[in-house]
Parts: sequence; C-alpha cells; structure tokens
Amino acid sequence: MSASPTSDQVPVTVLTGYLGAGKTTLLNRILSEQHGRRYAVVVNEFGELGIDNDLVVDTDEEVFEMNNGCICCTVRGDLIRIVGGLMKRRDKFDGIIIETTGLANPAPVAQTFFVDEDVRARTRLDAIVTVVDAKHLPARLADSHEAADQIAFADVIVLNKTDLVTPAELEAVEAKIREINRFAVIHRADHANVPVTDLLNQGAFDLDRVLARVPEFLTDDAHEHNDDVTSLSFAVEEDLDAEKFNAWIGALLAEQGADLLRTKGILAYKDDDRRFAFQAVHMIADGAYIGPWRPGEKRESRIVFIGRNLNRPRLRRGFEACRA
Amino acid sequence: MPGLSAHVSSADHILETRASSHDLGAHVVACAFAPDGSAGFALGDGTLRIAADAAWTSIAAHEGAVLALAADARGFVTGGDDGKLQRIAGGEVTTLADFGSRWVEQVAATRTHIAAGYGKRVAVLDAAGKTIKTLEHPSSVTGLVFDAKGKRIGASHVNGASLWFVAAKTDNPRKLEWKGSHTGIAISPDGENVVTAMQENALHGWRLSDGQHMRMSGYPAKTKALSFSRNSKWLATSGAESIVLWPFFGGGPMGKAPTELAGGDAAFCTFVACHPQHEAVAAGFSDGMVVLADIGSERILPVAGPGGRGAVTALAWHPDGARLALGTETGFAAVVDFSKQ
Repeated sequence: MSASPTSDQVPVTVLTGYLGAGKTTLLNRILSEQHGRRYAVVVNEFGELGIDNDLVVDTDEEVFEMNNGCICCTVRGDLIRIVGGLMKRRDKFDGIIIETTGLANPAPVAQTFFVDEDVRARTRLDAIVTVVDAKHLPARLADSHEAADQIAFADVIVLNKTDLVTPAELEAVEAKIREINRFAVIHRADHANVPVTDLLNQGAFDLDRVLARVPEFLTDDAHEHNDDVTSLSFAVEEDLDAEKFNAWIGALLAEQGADLLRTKGILAYKDDDRRFAFQAVHMIADGAYIGPWRPGEKRESRIVFIGRNLNRPRLRRGFEACRA
Repeated sequence: MPGLSAHVSSADHILETRASSHDLGAHVVACAFAPDGSAGFALGDGTLRIAADAAWTSIAAHEGAVLALAADARGFVTGGDDGKLQRIAGGEVTTLADFGSRWVEQVAATRTHIAAGYGKRVAVLDAAGKTIKTLEHPSSVTGLVFDAKGKRIGASHVNGASLWFVAAKTDNPRKLEWKGSHTGIAISPDGENVVTAMQENALHGWRLSDGQHMRMSGYPAKTKALSFSRNSKWLATSGAESIVLWPFFGGGPMGKAPTELAGGDAAFCTFVACHPQHEAVAAGFSDGMVVLADIGSERILPVAGPGGRGAVTALAWHPDGARLALGTETGFAAVVDFSKQ
C-alpha cells in the first residue's frame, strides 16, 4: 500500500551507500524486476548495469554552493541539467533513480530538489534509500563522516549482507543505525533482495507524510557524543504560535544548520484546524498546510531533528517556548 | 460581433495571415534557419522538422531527444542525448562525432567552424566536420557561443566562463571568473562584453577591455535566453513578467534601470531573440504569446496570442530579418514572414 503520486511530477529516488555496500546489486535488481515501469537512472560511472527498457544517464557529480549567503546550501548542477533534458523527451519516465558515489554527502542531492525552481516544478524527491553493509558498517562509521551522514539522511535503509554476520552482530548493527536515525524504515537483506515496492514511490518527502512513520513519542535513551549523529523528537500538546515557531526555527537553522542534517515537523497552530508540515535539509526549509487533523488523531505538535551536536534541553526549551 | 472575439483573433492575426504553422507533437528544443532558407525545429522526440516554403518534413536525427541545434555553412548541426553530433543537410544525416554516454547539450556554429559541448569538453570541428581540437573546462559546459566574427568561443560553466580563440595554436582560455553556477552565455556583437545567466535568477557580466564586473539582478525566475541587439546597445533577457532590456551604452548597465517591454500580465517571458538588423526583439511568453517589440518606440506587435499552445521555448530570426521561427513546449511551431506582401 505504497503512496500513489499526488501529481504528475516524476518521483525521484536517491540511492546512497558506501562503496561495496551493494548499491549496484540493488540497482540491478530494481531494473531487472518485471515491474512494467520505466526509469531513468543517473549514475556516475557506467558500471555493470543490465539495462533493457530503462535509460541510463552518465554524469559527474557537480556540487556547487548557492550564492544565497547560506554556506551549507550546496546543489548538484548536473542534476538540474539532466532533469531539464529528460523533461524534453516525449517518452516520459515513471521515475528517476539517482545513484550517488560511495563517499557522497546526500545533502546536495536533496537540496537540489528544494532549491531549483525548474526541478521542483517537474519532479518530487520521493525518498533517500541508503544501502549499508551489515558486516563493515561499524568500521565505516569509525573512519568516516559520510557513512553516518548517509544513514542520517535515509528514509529507507537496506541493511544488506545480513548473511555474513551472526544474529548478535546483526542486532548490534541495527541498534547502531537506530542511534543515528530512528525514523528510517530498515529492510534486512542479503544480496540486496528487497522488493521494489519497498523502495520506490515511498512518498517520504511528501509534506503530508513527513511524520507518518514517526513512532509515538519516544523517550530518548541514546547516549549523545558531540560528534555522533543522533536523532531527537519532541512533542507539545498545546497549540503553537506560528510567528514564534518561525522565529525560533529560522534562527536555529541559521545558527546550527550545518549540524542539522534533517528536520521534520507536524505542527498545530493556534486558531487553525489544519496541520502544518515542515521539513528542512540543513538550512533549506519548506513548509505547507496539509489539511485538517484527522478524526481520532491526537492534535499535538511534533518535531524531529537528525544531526550532530544536538543539545536536548536547549532544543526542548526552544520548541516548548513556541507555545501560543 | 465585435468585442472579445475580435480582440482574440487580432492577437493571432499575423499567425493566421503571414505564417506557415504546424503542430509537431513534441517539445521544441531549438529552432534555426539554414543557409538555404529552410527553418529547422529540433524536437524532444529526436527528430528535426524542416519547414521549406510551406512544406514540412521530418528527419530522425537522434535516438532520444535533440538537445541542441545550430545552422552551419551546409545545413543544420544537432546534438542529442544519444551522445551524437549530427549534420543534417540535403535530407541526409551524417554523424560528425560520437561522444558515447555523454549528452551533447550545446552546439554552436559559424560558416567555418562547429563547436559541440559534451560534459566538460567542447569539440571544435572545421566546416567539413573534422575535429580539430578539444577544449577542457573545469565543469560541464552549460552555454556555448561564437562571437560575431567567429574568432572566439565562449563557454559558461561553474565559477564563470572561458573565452577561447578558435585559431590559437596553444589553448589557454581567458578565464572570466565569478563564483557560482553560470547556466548560459552571450557575447555582444561588438565583442566588448560577455554576459552569463546564473542559477540565482541574476546575470553576471564582464567588460573585456578592463575586466570590469557587472551584476544584473532582480529577476523572479531564471534567465534562460540572452540576446544582444545587433548594434550591441541592448541585452534582451527572459526570466521576468516583461522583456527586460539592459542598456549597454552611456555607462550602462551599471547604475541604470533596465527597460521593460510587453509586461503586465501574469505570464513570464521565456525566450527572446533580437532582430538581426534593427533595434527590435521577438519575445515569447509562458502562455504561448509571441510579440515583436520595437525597442526605441516601445511599440508592441502581437505575433501569436496567448493560450492553447504552451510556453514558448524557441525563437530564431532568418539573417535577412524578414522571417521568424517560433516553437513551444507542446510542439506548436511556425515560420512567420514579415516581408511586404
């Protein structure tokens, strides 16, 4: 029961993962499965992809900073051009899959879909899927920032190569992933055997699904180290004041945007019966009303932070101070 | 009955009385006039459609989409997302170069040379189609032009533009630097100024004589089309609700406000092409409207009315200035004849 696209915008899936985690295997599975759909696949190196029906686009990741005074606002110029080119074709695609290089930071890809007006008009970022290697993840986390960033950005995590570890090791690695990002859906796999329906068309970036998967408010028991990526969530039962929230989140993203990898929230503003959905990638934010609170749904404001150097008491106080 | 219907039909009057038009059924990526006077329309379905007098023909040029088109000494040259650079002349397709998995996103040509941008490289070919050199850039080439004399090639990319001499023995470009992503380029016909479009809804310029930087901003959308008037006095641009013309005289554009023509409606200007002789500009809008604007008198002549045809994506003048080719994102195309009838 995956989400159906809400418009004619082409859904885009970003596939990240460290070298050797199994990205190419997963991509081949997606492309060889008989799903009757046609994808454009953007890759950095023509590898051993088995393509019949799909289009493969070869590119170099070209990341540049926007001249908008925001130091962490970087976008992929090559993707802007490729999306523009694909939209000129008469044969339209059911989706676009973007594979990033093993060491890539997912932020520029995600921010491209927030920042560029033409890309926004034609496509929608559907989900970030991160492939991790169950056996080697602990070593990767120890020796690079990127491995943690890729998990932090993920909406869906394919925990691959489970056949190479013991059940105890698997539990430990999954717990480690949860410390970084407790909101992503984890699929255990070997040889990347995950059904395509669990990867594509997830609607994870749709504002009305922003917190669909957030479990009920969790009490946090993770230990926070300054440099580790962690995730925090807060809930407030009283209505919020929109101006206070905007002032707070604006200042927070400006000050700490480099550390805040992803921020998501569903907010209940005073005197408004609609839910307000908010999300940000670093400093780049987006928000919209997404319809009324559903019958039986608890009217409360929730916010999630995934990032580094998260100061729990300070963030909680800041969020709670937005009460109307 | 006079009134609205009469008004609507008058907006299309020129299209109805002075044009050969056709619904081509695919995104018009670019249009150009070949030396034999025929108009070519490059389409997103991989074909080149050619209008000669009132006859329209279709030629399969690329596997996927045609991404770029130019007219050269013999006919048309196209680049596609199949990695090929093709020449279409005399009804035949010849492959001039095959760049494999790289899209050929930029093509420019003069009577003596062809330039094709694929990824970070630009191949320069002679008129016979033989590759004579390859120019390397720091990032993908997003815009490619020859100057009016055909002696220099300008290429835009991340952090600026590169200016190359076609005939140089050693290939060191003049680097025009400005931080950011530059997405298109124009060189004034007098060879004095280079202007690029930028990701941030602004233009950047360099005066070549002294390297003076120019910044032109305030656009609500990205500028995709840049066109200098023949006398180099005006730079016409898309990206606003009107045709925005920057004055490149009397000390401008620094400290001068641009002239805005044909504005007022909610539609955005999506393409501009200055007349090859006069101080006039043809402009297309997001609602399909096409106008011819006389810059000095600010008079506007409607060529195609708004509605039903999709955003204008291509405009090109025949060098004689009597004919205008136009195309839209939904595949409407026309060749308009302005000569005395």
